Amino acid sequence: MDRRTVILKKLLTRLMGFIAAMLLLSIIVFYIARLAPGDPLQSFYGDAVESMTTQELQEARKRLGLDAPNHIQYIRWITNAFHGEFGLSLKYKIPVMEVVSPLIGNTLILGGISYLVVFIFAILLAISCALFEDTLFDRIICKVGTAAYYIPAFWLGVVLVLIFSINLNWLPSSGAYDFGKSGDLLNRLEHLVLPLIVMVLSHLWYYAYMFRNKLLDEFRKDYIILAKTKGLKKVEIIVKHCLRNIAPTIISIMAISSPHILSGTYIAEAVFNYPGIGALSVESAKYHDYNLLMLLVLITGVLVIISSIIAQSINEMIDPMLKEQEAATWKKATKNSSSW
Amino acid sequence: MIMEPILQLKNLSISFDTANGEVEAVRDVNLSLQKGEILAIVGESGCGKTVLGQSVLKLLPKNSRIKEGQIIVDGEDITNYKEKKMRNLRGPALSMVFQDPMTTLNPTIPIGKQITESILKHNKVSREEAKKIAIEMLHLVGIDDPVYRISLQPHFFSGGMRQRCVLAIALASNPKILFADEPTTSLDVTVQAKILDLLLDIRDKTGISIVFISHDLGVVARIADRVAVMYAGKVVEIGTAEEVFYDPCHPYTWGLLSALPSNTTEGENLRSIQGMPPVMMDPPPGDAFAVRNEYALKIDYEEMPPMFQISPTHFTATWLLDERAPKVEVPLSLKRSISI
Repeated sequence: MDRRTVILKKLLTRLMGFIAAMLLLSIIVFYIARLAPGDPLQSFYGDAVESMTTQELQEARKRLGLDAPNHIQYIRWITNAFHGEFGLSLKYKIPVMEVVSPLIGNTLILGGISYLVVFIFAILLAISCALFEDTLFDRIICKVGTAAYYIPAFWLGVVLVLIFSINLNWLPSSGAYDFGKSGDLLNRLEHLVLPLIVMVLSHLWYYAYMFRNKLLDEFRKDYIILAKTKGLKKVEIIVKHCLRNIAPTIISIMAISSPHILSGTYIAEAVFNYPGIGALSVESAKYHDYNLLMLLVLITGVLVIISSIIAQSINEMIDPMLKEQEAATWKKATKNSSSW
Repeated sequence: MIMEPILQLKNLSISFDTANGEVEAVRDVNLSLQKGEILAIVGESGCGKTVLGQSVLKLLPKNSRIKEGQIIVDGEDITNYKEKKMRNLRGPALSMVFQDPMTTLNPTIPIGKQITESILKHNKVSREEAKKIAIEMLHLVGIDDPVYRISLQPHFFSGGMRQRCVLAIALASNPKILFADEPTTSLDVTVQAKILDLLLDIRDKTGISIVFISHDLGVVARIADRVAVMYAGKVVEIGTAEEVFYDPCHPYTWGLLSALPSNTTEGENLRSIQGMPPVMMDPPPGDAFAVRNEYALKIDYEEMPPMFQISPTHFTATWLLDERAPKVEVPLSLKRSISI
């Protein structure tokens, strides 16, 4: 088997796995949403639903397609979904795509920037702690980091608003931008600062400490002593040898952490009233806005699964051992190894 | 004329501070190494031979300290050298080869890069030149097709080849003294012999001085010019290889030699030295070997024996050589094999 077919086959397996996972996810969420007690008509008609007759309710259900058995409803939904139709939002009464599209960018900006900042700082902190292992510096950073990590995000958010928005009046307390200034980059950045601080502080140490310990584990290995006999500095050994060797671990952790950080944005969005899909998904579940909920779940699912696929691909490039094993597996031309 | 030795240890004592107290790993060791000489240090596990080797490169853990004595490398007293100065010595002056080649190489970095790393660190050469030197080094240690293999990761190599690579790394920065810490212990016998021949060959070609640390007298007999026998952190007998192997004077050396399988006749059980080495937390006041020594005298339990000179190069620390001591013959079994 030449290399191209191997890659093609691998891609195909991953794609199939991806589709299967998405189908499974959509089925589970679809059923669970419908199992939850409550009436979606409540959110569609609001309080008017109280004064509607049974017959009117029946007709309304029929119009919205909520009268059919669940599996029929699912089949209808999935067929439409494949055509790019995700239906109407029951709460906003416009297509769900239109509800989500202006907000998703906000969440991606907040999530993406926090993600990068968290990991860049986590790696830098881990390296400096490993360098000064067991010195006062390392101990202080460890204690402060742990304390910061356990401050609840919602409380921290409120305190930050109190200090920086109300008392000092330096930064805005809510929203993603001031009214009519959606294109103003500086204005957007100003609004990002506080949510970002909350996001970073509530995630940073968890990863920094993990990486620090991984680095130190690596630093205890036998090959380090050989590196020392070459006359390398500790920082060179940690960066060139240890960090390189734990890179696959870091990347895997980064990949599986994307839902962790994404879910973090939900809290930050709620506290700072930041218009993003986090707040929206809480709302959609609350109001039984089935179509909106399904779309949001699918978007989150796609993000999570794609990031894990990316992680694995990068890992294979970095870690030759992984690649080797895989090559051996392919050579056997057996049924495909599990892809993720 | 006696040349200035390249390495001198004067009254060297090294201790480890542990939670249970001070462990005296090396006690009052005097050794010197001439240029181009191979000095073997032999002894049981835990006798301090590895600590002795690593102390010269200052690779010991933080809880160790040089309690007394001096380390002089090429006329330079390095006893109080700090990490920064040591880094400049590791490589150009001192280098080391370790026991387990499977773990001493960094598994993810190509061999070539691991060699050039130390060349680039200590010499002002370009990457291409460093690579050329690395290829030469691999050629020197007997790796076929080094131009191709330079870009391979360690897992492509067998144990013997990896040990050759470690040797190439150790030799790359052209050290004056090579510490070989049981370099053949984890290799099988045929590979062992080849690595030993290689070391001899390299010594002849480059004039490097080697401290060969081993517990295997068979291996030592093949390679060493001089042999130092260590017991409980002390050198108990030192002399040229001929002297130690054919005219051993210390009961411990007798024990070691008669424990060799080749010194046992057919049908006889393999001999061993009764008992265990002492715990170095609280070493006995007299000869540490006394409790295991069938020739022990009363004074052995009370007072440390001084070094008795047998020939200009042969010294032994045992009270048996004192003029007041009773005459003790070399054990019969050993005599038989020595006289062959």
